[in-house]
Amino acid sequence: MRWRKLGKIFDPTQHRLPDDCVQFAQSPQALIFDDFVRVYFSTRARDSDGKKFRSHIAFVDLAKDLRTILRVSEKPVIPLGGLGCFDEHGIFPMNVLRYGDLIYGYTCGWNRRVSVSVDTAIGLAISHDEGLTFQRFGPGPVLAASLREPCLVGDGFVKVIGGVFHMWYIFGLGWKKFSASTPPDRIYKIGHATSGDGIEWVKEDGRQVIADQLGPDESQALPSVIEIDGRYHMFFCFRQSFDFRTNRERAYRIGHAYSDDLVNWVRDDEDAFLDVSAEGWDSDMLCYPHVCSCDGIVYLLYNGNEFGRYGFGLAVLDR
Amino acid sequence: MFTWRKLAKVFTPQEVAGRDWLKEFAQAPATLLFDDFVRVYFSCRPGADSEGRYVSYSGYVDLDRRNLFKVLRVADRPILALGGLGEFDEFGTYPVSVVRDGQDVRVYYGGWTRCESVSFNVAIGCALSRDGGMTFAKLGAGPVLSYSPEEPFVLSGPKVRRFNGGWQLWYIAGRKWKVVAGRPEPVYKIRMAVSSDGIQWKKMNRDLIESRVEDDEAQASPDVFFANGRYHMFFCYRYSYDYRGKDRGYRIGYAVSDNLLDWKRCDDKVGIDVSETGWDSEMISYPHVFDVDGETYMAYLGDQVGRFGFGLAKLEGRLG
Repeated sequence: MRWRKLGKIFDPTQHRLPDDCVQFAQSPQALIFDDFVRVYFSTRARDSDGKKFRSHIAFVDLAKDLRTILRVSEKPVIPLGGLGCFDEHGIFPMNVLRYGDLIYGYTCGWNRRVSVSVDTAIGLAISHDEGLTFQRFGPGPVLAASLREPCLVGDGFVKVIGGVFHMWYIFGLGWKKFSASTPPDRIYKIGHATSGDGIEWVKEDGRQVIADQLGPDESQALPSVIEIDGRYHMFFCFRQSFDFRTNRERAYRIGHAYSDDLVNWVRDDEDAFLDVSAEGWDSDMLCYPHVCSCDGIVYLLYNGNEFGRYGFGLAVLDR
Repeated sequence: MFTWRKLAKVFTPQEVAGRDWLKEFAQAPATLLFDDFVRVYFSCRPGADSEGRYVSYSGYVDLDRRNLFKVLRVADRPILALGGLGEFDEFGTYPVSVVRDGQDVRVYYGGWTRCESVSFNVAIGCALSRDGGMTFAKLGAGPVLSYSPEEPFVLSGPKVRRFNGGWQLWYIAGRKWKVVAGRPEPVYKIRMAVSSDGIQWKKMNRDLIESRVEDDEAQASPDVFFANGRYHMFFCYRYSYDYRGKDRGYRIGYAVSDNLLDWKRCDDKVGIDVSETGWDSEMISYPHVFDVDGETYMAYLGDQVGRFGFGLAKLEGRLG
């Protein structure tokens, strides 16, 4: 399998966005309709003091070619959480899926800390209006830290397979101060949980399901799973855990693994390999992949340089 | 109404020397009975840092079983280490609740972290002792009971019990952060979870104790004790605002249950209140009821939520 790049398809700076957001269209996540594709993403507003960002969810509706922009959301999709809640300071990303007549959104909520910058947990929000707005299933998260997953539970991707909800997500192993002059950085890995109803989850608690390529300090993020010809394929992103923001050699790349039983995954980054471009919007970094199928064609939505500050692009799978 | 006869304050942290981690506070007493002594766990603090912030540790004092006012020894070091960078218990291990499990002793504790928009958050951790409760090793770097849709923050005040072969955990869960005079103050309610192994918990997801003084009443220290065929809960409660003084500060409440889950609040039976003068004249809180050699005692905190230690009261008559 190989990905054929189709270029950047959405630039947030070219559109008016809700919630006073101006830049970033991170972690695109597709919801397929009969005659269009709704792509949710996380965009950012600055705090009133101008110092920090908060991520908000917005969407863009694309024609089924996934390249023609039809409209951009005009209203907030989901407000941020209340004072002291897990999602008070941002939602990034939100994974969406149809379940019966409803649309479930699994949010990654951010809350700011003092000794480290942030912690996260995974919430559930439900839409009764075809994904225009979402209402929280309670003010707290459905998946949070546990004995062997001490921090940074986030990036949930949910798929119902054989009547069972599967979630692949990330959990933090901990924070590490790699250098005296920089703030602590985190290391996270991909884990797995299952559920009968999408609300009460049973974790494997601390089992890293995807092997490291870069050694123990590799961070893995944003798993996305699709079935192709009877085999499950996971796309995710990975990077070094230190000096990864501006150093091209240590920045995010797209990884790949496959599984036949949803339990054991074989990492194989070379198959369906997507490399950075020689120049342009995705020449330094590739991150936040989302794989989806539309009219029988498998697509990859992903972010490029600067973690998606200037939007996301598209690749198509050639088999 | 029960009759609790106040005995006296039994432990004063300011009188302990040579322990940097134990300068003030002796909060949330919890007992473990030994042949010759009663070990009382409590939570304490070193001095505040330059920004006035505290961390909290937990330790113990061993009281002579024949004379509970005779201190035999005080822990040389905290029973639990603070958590690592970014972990849920990086800034405090308070309060604790202990229970025997065969030869081992288990502790459940509130782990504290510091947040930006509110001052803190808490989740419940678990650790195991193989040396009779002197030191504990954490079961993991994360919490054993954490946030969930209906319990979004501040899971604290664990009280573990083992009735009828199962594991029960009473605890508090934050309901809201209420901004009072520009400062977020936590409102929390008493909740419960059950387990067959003490590790995997099923939350009951309901408030056990009806709020009395106001809807935003904060409730803590749900201490459950079995006597005379019924379950008795002593707990403490306060107003949501201006609660650091006498008028709206902590008092001790009481509820009774026949099945551990459905509770009838009857504060008029509690039989203990603030004193007219002295160390517990402004507030009383964090009750813990225990039996020693046929007598029933309550350990509790006095003014400033135990800054100056805890005392004992003795039950006259019985819990009916």
